[in-house]
Amino acid sequence: MADLTASVPRRDNTTRLLLLPGIIWMLLFLITPIAMIVYVSFWTQTTFNISPDPTLASWKQFFSSDTYVGSLWTTMRIWLIVLATTFLVGYPTALFVGLLVKSKTLATVLLVICVIPFWTSFLIRVLAWRPMLGKEGAINIILLKLGVIQQPIEVLLFTELSVVIGMTQIYCVFMVGPIAFMLARIDRNIIEAARDLGAGFGRIFWKIIFPLSLPGVVVGAIFVSVMVLGEFATSGALSGRKVNLLGNIIVTQVGSLKWAMASVVGVILTVVMGVVIAGFLRIVDLKREL
Amino acid sequence: METTVFRLEGVTKRYGDLVALDNVSLDVGVNEYVSFLGPSGSGKTTLLRVIAGFETPEVGRVFFEGRDITYQPAHERGIGFVFQNFALFPHLTVIGNVGFGLAHGKTPVAPAEVDRRARKMIDLVGLSGMEDRGVDQISGGQRQRVALARTLAMQPKLVLLDEPLGALDANLRGRMRNELRAIRERLGVTFLHVTGSENEALAMGDRVVVLDRGRIIQSGRSDEVYDTPASPDVAHFLNRFNLFEGRLADARFTGPFGSVAAPVARRSDRDIYAVRYDRMRVLPAQAATDGPALKATFVASEYLGSSIMNFFETADGKVVEMEHHLSLGAPDTYEAKRDYILTWNPDLAIVFGREGR
Repeated sequence: MADLTASVPRRDNTTRLLLLPGIIWMLLFLITPIAMIVYVSFWTQTTFNISPDPTLASWKQFFSSDTYVGSLWTTMRIWLIVLATTFLVGYPTALFVGLLVKSKTLATVLLVICVIPFWTSFLIRVLAWRPMLGKEGAINIILLKLGVIQQPIEVLLFTELSVVIGMTQIYCVFMVGPIAFMLARIDRNIIEAARDLGAGFGRIFWKIIFPLSLPGVVVGAIFVSVMVLGEFATSGALSGRKVNLLGNIIVTQVGSLKWAMASVVGVILTVVMGVVIAGFLRIVDLKREL
Repeated sequence: METTVFRLEGVTKRYGDLVALDNVSLDVGVNEYVSFLGPSGSGKTTLLRVIAGFETPEVGRVFFEGRDITYQPAHERGIGFVFQNFALFPHLTVIGNVGFGLAHGKTPVAPAEVDRRARKMIDLVGLSGMEDRGVDQISGGQRQRVALARTLAMQPKLVLLDEPLGALDANLRGRMRNELRAIRERLGVTFLHVTGSENEALAMGDRVVVLDRGRIIQSGRSDEVYDTPASPDVAHFLNRFNLFEGRLADARFTGPFGSVAAPVARRSDRDIYAVRYDRMRVLPAQAATDGPALKATFVASEYLGSSIMNFFETADGKVVEMEHHLSLGAPDTYEAKRDYILTWNPDLAIVFGREGR
C-alpha cells in the first residue's frame, strides 16, 4: 500500500519530464508566435513605421477593401475546387492502388510512383505547367495538330483554371496516400461477404467500402486543405498575379513591411484553417480509427 | 431416401501446378449436416469456395436444387457463407450487419420488414438486446452468432461454414457446437461445415467427408468413419489410432509388436496396423502374453477429465498413446522411464494392406 502511494508522484514526475521538451517547443514556436501575430495585428501602421499603439485600423482596412475580402473568397473558392478535384482524381486512384491491386509490392511501387514528382523542387513542378498550358504550349499544339481546335485555348494559362490544375497535380498524392492506406486495411472477406449477401457493386461501394475509407478521406482532405489554404507559390507562378490568395497578400504585405496587415491576414487564415480542420474531424472519430 | 439438394460432379480446381481439388464428386441431401475434415491444404476451404461461387472449377459441374450453378455468380446462388474470421461489417451495428443482405440484396425488402426479420434472426441466435451494439463491442462467440444470423437472415437452403468455431476458445466452441445443431434443426437447412478438428467433425456431422490432397478419401456417418476408417490416412486424421508399419502376408501382420493373425484386412497401398488409443492395454515388462507385445517406455500422462492419455515411447522413438476412460475404474499409475509391454485384442485392430480386400 505504501509502495503504491509512493509510486504515484514518481510516475507523475516522469510524465512531466517527458512532456517538458514538447511543451517548451510548442510554447516557443507555436503559442508565442500566434499570440504575437494576434497582438501585432492591432498595432498602428504608418507608411514607414509601426508602433505598438493598439488600433483596429488594419482590421477595418481589411474588411472594407474589396481586394482583401475578395482574396478571402478566392481562397475559399480555390480551396473547395481543389479539394473536389483532388478527391475526384485521387479516390479512383486510391481505389485501384489500395483495393484492386492484389500484390502488396505492386501497390507500394504504385504509391512510390505517385511521390516521384516530389523529387523535383516545388518551383520547377509549378513552372513546368507553363510550357504545357501556354498559348503556344504543348496542349494547344497537340489539339491544333489534331484539328480539335482552330484557335489556341487562351484560358489554360494565367487563369484560375491553371492554378486549379497545378494545385490538383501537386496535392493529389496527399489525398491518394491516406485513402489507399485505409482501403488496403479492409478485409477482403468483408467484401465477399457483402457479395454473398446479394449486394451489387454499387451497394458494396456505398455501404461498405466508402464508409470504411472515410477516415482516409478526412485525413487526406485535412492535408490538402491545410496546404491549399496557405498556398501562394502556385497562384503566383500560374495565374500571372490575377489570382490573389490570402497567402499572396501576406507575401506582398511582408515584402512592403506592412506587418500589421500581414498579421491580420495571418490571423484570418489561421482561424479559417482551424474551423476547416475542426469541421473535418467532426465527420469521423479518428481516435477510434487509428 | 432423402432428396439431393446439392451435387458435385468431378470437380477439379488448380492453382498453377497445385491441384487443390482433384475430381471431387459428392451428393448432399436436404436437411443434412455434413462436416468436411482434412488437414490444412487438403482442399476443404477451396471446396467450400467453389460451392459458394467465389472460385470457378476448371473441370466438373456444381448442381444446386437441380440447377447447374457452376458459372453462376456467388450472390445469385442462394447459398449462405459464414467466414472463418466472421467478416462482419465493422462500421455497422449488430442489427445493421444482420439486416444488410435484406436491405441491400438483389431483392430489396421494405425497411420495416428488414427490421422485423433481422430482429427475429437476432432472437434466434440468442442475441436479443444487443441489436444496437457495434460489432467491436461484443465477444467472439457473439460475433460468431451475428455472422450466422446475417447468413441465415437470407433464408438460404444451404449454409457453408468455414471453420466457424476456429476463432473461439475451447469452452465457447463446445457451446456453439450444440447451438449450431439446434439452430439448424429448427430451420431445416443443409449445413456444410469445414473443420480441421476431428472432434468437431465427428460431433457435428450427420455425415463426415474426409479430404486429403484434394480428394475425398472417405464419406460416411460419423460412427462408420470412426469405427472403420477406409484408409491409413483417414485413421491418421481421426487422431484416435496408433498406426504401426509392418508387413501383411498370408493373413498375418508382422510389425514391431511381433507377428499377429490378421484374417480381415482392408485394401491399401501400404501395410499399416491401426489400434485405437482406448483399445491399448498396459502390462508389466516381464509379463507374458500370447497376443501382440510392444515394448515401450512410459513418458508422461495427461488428464483429460473423463479419461487419461498415457504416452509411451518405443525403442525406435515412436510415440504410442493409450487412453484410459475413467468410467472403467481408477487408472493404474506408471513410472516414468520404466519399460512396459503394450498389448491389445487383435480382433479389435484394423489392418490395411496390399493383400487386403
